[in-house]
Amino acid sequence: MKLSVNVSFSYGSRRVLRDVAFSAERGELIAVIGPNGAGKSTLLKCISGILKPEGRVELDSLDVLSLSPRERARLIAYVPQSSYPEFNFTVREFVEMGTYFTGGSVDEALAKVGMLERGGESIMKLSGGEYQLVMIARALAQNPRVMLLDEPTSHLDINHALSVMELLSSLKEEKILITVLHDLDLAIRYADRVIILSSGRKVWEGSVGELTPKILEGVYGSRFEFVEGKLGRGLIAALDSKPLNPL
Amino acid sequence: MRGRTVFTLLLLLSAISLFAGVYIGSVSLSPSDVTSSIVYGIERSLPGFSVPHAKPRFFIIVWELRLPRVLMAYLVGLSLASAGVASQALFKNPMADPYLLGISGGAGVGAAVGFEYFPSHVSLLAFAFSLLAVYTVYSISKVNGRIPVDTLLLSGVAFGFMAGAVTSYFVSIGKNSHLTYMWLMGSFSASGWGDVAELSLVLALGLPFFLWKWRELNLLLFGEESVTLGLNVQRFRKEVIFFVTLLTSVPVASAGIIGFVGLISPHIARLLVGPNHRRLTPAAALVGGSLMVAADLVARTVARPTEIPVGIVTAMLGGPFFLYLLRKHKRGELRR
Repeated sequence: MKLSVNVSFSYGSRRVLRDVAFSAERGELIAVIGPNGAGKSTLLKCISGILKPEGRVELDSLDVLSLSPRERARLIAYVPQSSYPEFNFTVREFVEMGTYFTGGSVDEALAKVGMLERGGESIMKLSGGEYQLVMIARALAQNPRVMLLDEPTSHLDINHALSVMELLSSLKEEKILITVLHDLDLAIRYADRVIILSSGRKVWEGSVGELTPKILEGVYGSRFEFVEGKLGRGLIAALDSKPLNPL
Repeated sequence: MRGRTVFTLLLLLSAISLFAGVYIGSVSLSPSDVTSSIVYGIERSLPGFSVPHAKPRFFIIVWELRLPRVLMAYLVGLSLASAGVASQALFKNPMADPYLLGISGGAGVGAAVGFEYFPSHVSLLAFAFSLLAVYTVYSISKVNGRIPVDTLLLSGVAFGFMAGAVTSYFVSIGKNSHLTYMWLMGSFSASGWGDVAELSLVLALGLPFFLWKWRELNLLLFGEESVTLGLNVQRFRKEVIFFVTLLTSVPVASAGIIGFVGLISPHIARLLVGPNHRRLTPAAALVGGSLMVAADLVARTVARPTEIPVGIVTAMLGGPFFLYLLRKHKRGELRR
């Protein structure tokens, strides 16, 4: 199973993505990183069908963009950036929405994120991390081949962020997983392959082992240092002499 | 409360309100007078059935005035409440009501023009202008075949202000401004069996759509992103706009602009059964129907022998009741 992407997108006359091309297969967690405004979220919205890009998105030579929303929802699931839930659905009702047009299993999805016993609770009473897990469960309930996640660890404390990344790692053998990450440290620790976007272009792609501080410095303008410790590889960043956004 | 208990109570409430609406009125009638009139009316309506006894004394009051009026109030409540639920999903906004698409503004202008220049075609003009208003708001909002809800909401609000100004102009200079003014606040005093039949037909088309599409309405709450869950958002928005227009413009054309029911019925229902449209739409419809019959009962009895516009009652009684529920809900005394 292979996902091939080659897309461009404009909001009116403003070009947001320019010929961003890559392919993805099962067995690796792909992190899309890049500075604010690079087009990371737009890229996921183009692949998931929320936006209509120019170019093509193919899953095993099947043209995903020409499919109906129902057909596409059975193949590709999207986990949006977490926001505070506005409606008082129960956890089970919320996850069930993933199955309306796809026929997946709510129980299996809830079990995978460790929330099976909490189906009757209101989503409004969950912590940020728990709500993020429920959003991932809704995507899992679609039983998709591809999962796209837009900053699944934003607003989460380190424990919840780690548990979300562990969950994604456990899913990568069965699904194609592409996640936008702002947290470069998590990207380096958990991703197998990294795609870097800047100003709507893909500026680098490679395995996480090939990623060097120099490459990150070229994109972000800050100074970086990789450190090796007992818990694995991590990242130290320091602001360059020319801050990007001086207050 | 469990779902089944809530629905049993709501059905009971509907039955009680309809019963009270028919048996209580500005003219005091005995229960047997009312019953005999209804029985006589039903017998007379059955084809090939010869009526063996004389026409009851209050037949006209009960069968020709009170019964169609009460049924009309119930059906209008049902329509506005279910259109209100769908509007709130469409706009992803709990403060939305079915009038936001420009329907009430357009209908107001139509009625004002009607009362001044074509007094025998007020309903028709109100209906035509409400459709024209929705078409205008819809056309202004449409961008490359898509309907962004924020633009739709703002266009609806802006159009409402403009239409309100035109209506006020006619009210301020017109000879029949008092009639326009009363119409704007809504009344069932002129409702007859023809209105009941017309609205029943519209409800038979529109209500099943919203009941059947509960999954789509749930997904609509998530806006553009719901396309990734399998919803054809753009097409479904157009369908919702069509059916909201149908379920709002027909009641407004015959009973005027009755405010608040389309806004508070979904809220009351949400406090009782939660946000899932599988239960929310039918619950809100039952709440709306009962509320409207009760409001009309108050409107025609509180100042008898005269009556006040029903819109005043829905706002004056519905508002505080809604605030009471909201406060109770916030304190955690009302749970799903």
